[in-house]
Amino acid sequence: MERMIIFCMLFFCFSMVLTATSPKAMKYKQLSKTIDHLKDVVKDKDVELLHTPENPGDGCLLTAVTCFQNGILKLQPRNSQVNATFAKTVKILRRPFLPVSEEHCESSCESYERKKPQEFLNSFSKLMQKLFKNSTAERYGKSTI
Amino acid sequence: MAVPGASLVPILLLGLGTCLAASPSPKGVECILFNEEYMTCTWGSGQTLTANYSLYYWYENKLPVVECQQYLWDRSVRIGCRFEQSEIIQFQAFYVRVNASCNGQTLEIPSNRMELQNLVKPEAPVNLTIHNMSGNQLQLTWSSPYPKEQCLEHVVKYKSNKDTSWTNQEVKGVIFSFPSVDYEKYYTFYVRSKINNYCGNTQLWSEWSVPVFWGNNSTSKGSSGPERPRSPRRPRSVLTVSPRLVAGVAEEQLQWFWIHTVLIPIASCLLLLVLVVLLVRMERVWVIIMPRIPNPSKNFDDLFITHNGDFQVRWLPWLTTPLSWWQLPTPLTPLCPSRNGSESLKMLWRVSSPTTVKASAT
Repeated sequence: MERMIIFCMLFFCFSMVLTATSPKAMKYKQLSKTIDHLKDVVKDKDVELLHTPENPGDGCLLTAVTCFQNGILKLQPRNSQVNATFAKTVKILRRPFLPVSEEHCESSCESYERKKPQEFLNSFSKLMQKLFKNSTAERYGKSTI
Repeated sequence: MAVPGASLVPILLLGLGTCLAASPSPKGVECILFNEEYMTCTWGSGQTLTANYSLYYWYENKLPVVECQQYLWDRSVRIGCRFEQSEIIQFQAFYVRVNASCNGQTLEIPSNRMELQNLVKPEAPVNLTIHNMSGNQLQLTWSSPYPKEQCLEHVVKYKSNKDTSWTNQEVKGVIFSFPSVDYEKYYTFYVRSKINNYCGNTQLWSEWSVPVFWGNNSTSKGSSGPERPRSPRRPRSVLTVSPRLVAGVAEEQLQWFWIHTVLIPIASCLLLLVLVVLLVRMERVWVIIMPRIPNPSKNFDDLFITHNGDFQVRWLPWLTTPLSWWQLPTPLTPLCPSRNGSESLKMLWRVSSPTTVKASAT
């Protein structure tokens, strides 16, 4: 009887672990939403242009994300009323969210073209779309990305 | 996807000879990824085009320009190209060039820069099912042939036989609930899907699904029309929709979400707690997990009662086997008689190492 109880407990614990939803997918979804909020409050005129990675390959993801996170520091709020929202979204987007790993990327951040803040954020959003799509569970095991 | 140079094409075609000039210019190359399984890029129909077309494509940073492997034909004219899954790469700039040649002259029609994740058209939802829930509620569920459900958003279109126009309701998951039911109406439901903003920037909706019907059709006449045939096999339960209820559907979905994220974890924690309690009560297992420290105090109860608490206990010297220190509670201080006799028993025990025991014994 006691063996059965111990077994039930172990089984239960393992099944809880397995059925937990992927935290990665939720993370990218949340970041996508945050970038959309930032697009609404960022200043787009008379501002410095930022290096914008465009469709980085799989071997350049960490470099591209670091480039985006550094570029975000140079953004400015549209007016003083949106300061709070701006500061909150920048803080969320500056947090590291990719695991640190060895990456040999041929393109550095400075090699990418400089663009306006809205296009910069659109590209960042697109990178989040790619990461989210890659991390969602597939039913049939196919992938075209 | 309109070609930016489409306005230049008629001018260029005029100089190219009779066969090209006779046919209107292709409107531009339009590419669609069907359910991410294959893609077709088309530039017109056999009725309007008469030249010899060929398509070349390439991805940015992956330069070999490749010709289409599988053309689509209409009345012996090439009108499009079909790409298989292995030829499709998303999140990479994609370029297409269509060459129109006639009588030895060639015209190049370039296309826009495209990103294929923005051109995905999912397949229509299938298996639309209506479930009769408690409290006169109705729930519509479906499934999608597209492999990643988290990338989709859906729209449910419904109408009763008494309504004049369709009502559209956006839905994020694969469940749609109506809070109440009216037994007098007969309803039709359609669902379609689109890639949501988390996976792409598209406006390409899928086709509408096969409809599902619900309700009592016996009183409807004339206004029902071809899209609402009777389906007597379906159980009868009808729903009324009012604008207030439509707003309530979003709340309904929120409730369902909270049930999944709060109620189920709490229930599982309670179950775990019950299992732990059962385990604790199983003394055989408990003794293995938490071994007891032996406490020989019970052995001296009789002595205490006999001598009214006034006695001393000493460890005898013939004990020579080396014992571990926690197995040897050695009373080195005398028992103190309690003031109230046998009501409370105070004993001071001091645990010592085997070497100390030997030293004190000798």
